[in-house]
This record gives sequence, structure tokens and C-alpha cells, in this order.
Amino acid sequence: MTKRLLAAALVAGFLAACVASVLQFALTSPLILAAEKYETAEAVAPATRHAFANPLIVLAHSGHGSAGHDHGGEPQWQPAPGLPRLAFTALATLVSGVGYALLLGAVLVATGRAVTPSEALRFGIGGFLAASLAPAVGLPPELPGIAAAALESRQLWWVATALATAVGLYLVAIRRGPVAIALGLALIVAPHVWGAPHGPEEISAMPPVYAAQFAARSLAIGFAFWAVLGLAFGWAWEAVAGTKGATRRSEVAA
Amino acid sequence: MVAITRSLSPALVSERLSAVLLAATLGVGLLFVSGFAPVVALHNAAHDWRHSANFPCH
Repeated sequence: MTKRLLAAALVAGFLAACVASVLQFALTSPLILAAEKYETAEAVAPATRHAFANPLIVLAHSGHGSAGHDHGGEPQWQPAPGLPRLAFTALATLVSGVGYALLLGAVLVATGRAVTPSEALRFGIGGFLAASLAPAVGLPPELPGIAAAALESRQLWWVATALATAVGLYLVAIRRGPVAIALGLALIVAPHVWGAPHGPEEISAMPPVYAAQFAARSLAIGFAFWAVLGLAFGWAWEAVAGTKGATRRSEVAA
Repeated sequence: MVAITRSLSPALVSERLSAVLLAATLGVGLLFVSGFAPVVALHNAAHDWRHSANFPCH
């Protein structure tokens, strides 16, 4: 079962990453490049930028800035612009794709449900709601150069929201008792009542349409990613069993 | 009322548990590397994907 789960996750992660990478190159990468021009322009006048109290944030900023956007300071490794940058974006998408596929498979197997493409698609849509849509309600997808709260507090809220939404969806959609539904809904709503950490409101020179387009496109890519991930996982799960069955049959025949 | 119970052999239960634990651990590890790790080189390599996938980024 372990091999089957790993094999199906590799296939599903690869296919979802292929689709998501092409969509990123067409839809979000051009917007990120456009936004970085404004980020670089703003960095020339550092007085307009807020200093973050958290030392890790400053570290991440300085590292990112010196590497990605020529803010000065020590040079850090970064992928060269153009094709290498796209290749590393695709690689990161693949690593995340396999990671999410492993988690999707773990949840499917743990709930003990028959793994079919339609069932896996349903869980994939759950994954989209938990890991893309719910965190985006509090922390909308952001272009580079937009001021935000401290990185760790946002990461913590992101993980807590994704986990609470996933458990909440499980209680509402699978457990389905009145108590489970009430508890599930409470879990889904709780992170938003608590509130996402927000940064200072800065006026950016970047046209607001960029940010709006980026948020919508990012969620659309997220949906396509999760839908392909779920469908492909269910299909690969059955396909791996099919080849195993065929091997066994051929062994018996021989 | 007919109660449907599924009895799984202990071997199957432990096999399922080890598969789930291994997949979950690997999955969390891969997501940490691609989406959350604060190492500058990893951040720069995964930068555009982190923004697109709405992982909190710098």
C-alpha cells in the first residue's frame, strides 16, 4: 500500500505541476515581473518603507531584496532571469505538487474510503478550499512589493487556517452528525473571527488592477492545480493496482 | 436495522497506518521546503510559486 500511495502521489503531483506551471507562466509570472519593477523603484526611497521589528523578516527581506531585486547588500544565489527562473518555478511547483498529493493520499487512505477518481476529486476540491481559498480570505494572494505583517505570524495563521478548514470540512462532509457539523462550521469560521495578521496600509505606485488580477488568477490556478491533483491521484491509484493485477495474472499464467 | 461493520486484519491496519504516516511526513517535508523554508536560496528558487500558491512570502 505504501508503494501504491507513493507512486500515485508522484504521478498526480507531476501532472498537477505541469498544468499549474503552464498556467503560472501564462497568467501570474508576467504580473510578478511587472510588480517587481515597482518594488525596485520603491526600494530606491527606503524611507517610504516600514521597518519590520521581527529580525527574521528583515533577514528574509534583505536576502530576497539583494538577490531578487538588486536592493544592495551581499549577493545571494537566485535563479537567472528568463528560462532558469521559469524552470525553478516549475521545480518548486513539482515539489509542492508531490507534497500535496502525498497529503491528499494520506487523508484518503486514512479515512478508509474507496479511492476512485471522483472521490479523489472531491477530496482535491476540499484541498483547494482548505489550502487555497480559506487562507486567501484572510491573506489574499499578494504580488511582490506589497506591505504585509511579519512573515512568521502570517505563516502561522496560514497553517492554522488550512488545518482548521480541513478538519472542519472533514467533520461537516464526512462525519455529518449534528454535533460534528456544528463543530466543523465553528472550526472553519474560527480563524477568520480571530483575524489574519495585517500589515501597514501603504499606498503603492503599482496599478491596483495588477493586484486584483493576480489574486483572481492565483486562485484560478489553485483550483486547476487541486482538481488535476485529485483526478490524477484517483486515476493513478487505480492504474497502479491495474498493473499489479496484470503482473499477478501473468505470473499465474506463466 | 443492519449494521455494516468492516473488520480489518491487524496486519492491514498497521500497513495502512505506516503508509499514511510515511506519506504525511514526506508531504509535510516537501511542502515545508517549497513553501515555507526561510533559507534564502530556497526562497529565491521557489519565489514565483510561493506568490502564486499564496504561501506567505517575504
